[in-house]
Amino acid sequence: MTGNREFEAMRAAHAALRDEARPEAVRRQHERGHLTAREALAALVDADTFVEYGGLAQPVIEGMEAPAEGVLIGTAQIAGRPVALVFYDYTVHGGSQSYIGHHKITRLFRLAAELKLPTICWLDGGGARPQDAAPGRRLVAEGFVAFAQLSGLVPTIGVVSQRAFAGHANLAGLCDCLIAVEGAALGIGGPPLVFAATGVRHTPEEIGPLDAHRASGVVDVVAATDAEAIAAARAYLAFFGPRAEAFQAPDAAALSGVLPKRAQRAYDVRRVIEGVCDVGCVFELKRDFGKAIVTALARLDGRAVGVIANQPMFLAGAIDSAAAEKAARFVQLCDAFDIPLLLLCDTPGILVGPEAESAGAVRRASRLLMALANARVPLMSVVLRKAFGMGFYIMGSQALRPAVLLAWPGAQYGGMGLEGAVEIAHGREIAALDDSVAREALRARRLEALRHEGSAVEAAARFLYDDVIDPADTRRLLALTMASFANRERGRPRRAYVDAF
Amino acid sequence: MAATIKSEMAGVIQSIEAAPGQQVSADAEVIVLVSMKMEIPIVAGRAGRIGEILVEEGDAVKAGAALFTVEP
Repeated sequence: MTGNREFEAMRAAHAALRDEARPEAVRRQHERGHLTAREALAALVDADTFVEYGGLAQPVIEGMEAPAEGVLIGTAQIAGRPVALVFYDYTVHGGSQSYIGHHKITRLFRLAAELKLPTICWLDGGGARPQDAAPGRRLVAEGFVAFAQLSGLVPTIGVVSQRAFAGHANLAGLCDCLIAVEGAALGIGGPPLVFAATGVRHTPEEIGPLDAHRASGVVDVVAATDAEAIAAARAYLAFFGPRAEAFQAPDAAALSGVLPKRAQRAYDVRRVIEGVCDVGCVFELKRDFGKAIVTALARLDGRAVGVIANQPMFLAGAIDSAAAEKAARFVQLCDAFDIPLLLLCDTPGILVGPEAESAGAVRRASRLLMALANARVPLMSVVLRKAFGMGFYIMGSQALRPAVLLAWPGAQYGGMGLEGAVEIAHGREIAALDDSVAREALRARRLEALRHEGSAVEAAARFLYDDVIDPADTRRLLALTMASFANRERGRPRRAYVDAF
Repeated sequence: MAATIKSEMAGVIQSIEAAPGQQVSADAEVIVLVSMKMEIPIVAGRAGRIGEILVEEGDAVKAGAALFTVEP
């Protein structure tokens, strides 16, 4: 019969793609405690939804074999919604990037742009396959540009399960959200490049250990295992989908006891976020970087919301450069994908002092205000405790025209730190007194007057807040406010702005 | 293996709330650090037994300073 031989060739070519065709490489991958690219892909997407592109592509080098040319690409569905996938396969030449491989990912990123497909990259590999970029062959590698152009168009997620260096790290650096598995290493240049540049031999884990990347903010989420990383990717992606139909409200009364009795006592603002948002729907990003602000995707009555909260446990919630930059990028993320923002304010202001200045606070701390002032999504603000100076101005004050601006009863407003304000406004008056006891008494009186003026109800009397509320009522009022967004204009075009730094 | 809990920021040790040998839960407050005029409770971070307390009340500590150890 005609065609049998052709069918056989097709079947044989497809069979060679499967993990079973390379048992030794698969065994080593499992011994290292990691999934193969095909296993990871199967675990990530809905069953039987993967449409593979270029599975039969082979290296341009004569005689070299590489199933799928070391990278699986295609479309699939996650929770019934379409996605694009680029999965580097470490069991095939270490997942290295080749001439055809670059054309494969470029094809897929362009397709993702046309079809508006959220894109997930499994970055298991160490960069280029040098022999595949031989002289005389033009390695265009438009893939990095195509991937960068997805920014703000569709959500992009990268997962680093083992090691991602060079080209793989370059892709990692372009992702909205980068998830890494414990033990992973990541870096612009791996051991051979570092040795060539510096003459020092390092292991990959010495060059780019995960602990360095979680502290620097390079990695957004750390997972214990490949399976956990896959679950995190699915959870992250869900925030960019439709409203959740089922959700569980937290115990509203728990918020009443969340603030310590003493105003100078710190507390973990994550308790407030958990007390406001749907149970099990708080997804924190960059937990170990810029710790003076917590940023988390969350849901409120099933609707996605981006939470930006000052963290009194770190620097007393003073906004330092790292926290401002983390939050500013988070604003860009939420603004790009039309996720409203919730600002939880408890800050003494922007971090001051010579160290903060030499770290570039004037410019870097301004990035958050720049991002919020230019964002198109609705803002909601709740003052939990301290609302001082430029810190409050940035964290959702009237000037930013939040959709609602609420304060808890213990909220304390001050145009600047109160002690500083007394010193500036009344310093001479106080210094003019001869008696030190009288001086301190006057200082205390002036301080108390300012404190009273800035108390929640007094501030609300001057319409600084839309209301002063029982903390237990926070979630209900925010959910109603989000419901009021129904008729708003979406997707307004925005001109480009020049970032503060 | 004992875990060493380090200070995330510079500050002054205001009080020590647990003693070596004491069994603690993960959220037990072991030290209160004052930083930026804020009292910041430093918790054990994991359930176990307090090994050594490496600071004294009144000590000024820098970011990264070892504060205490917790043994499993």
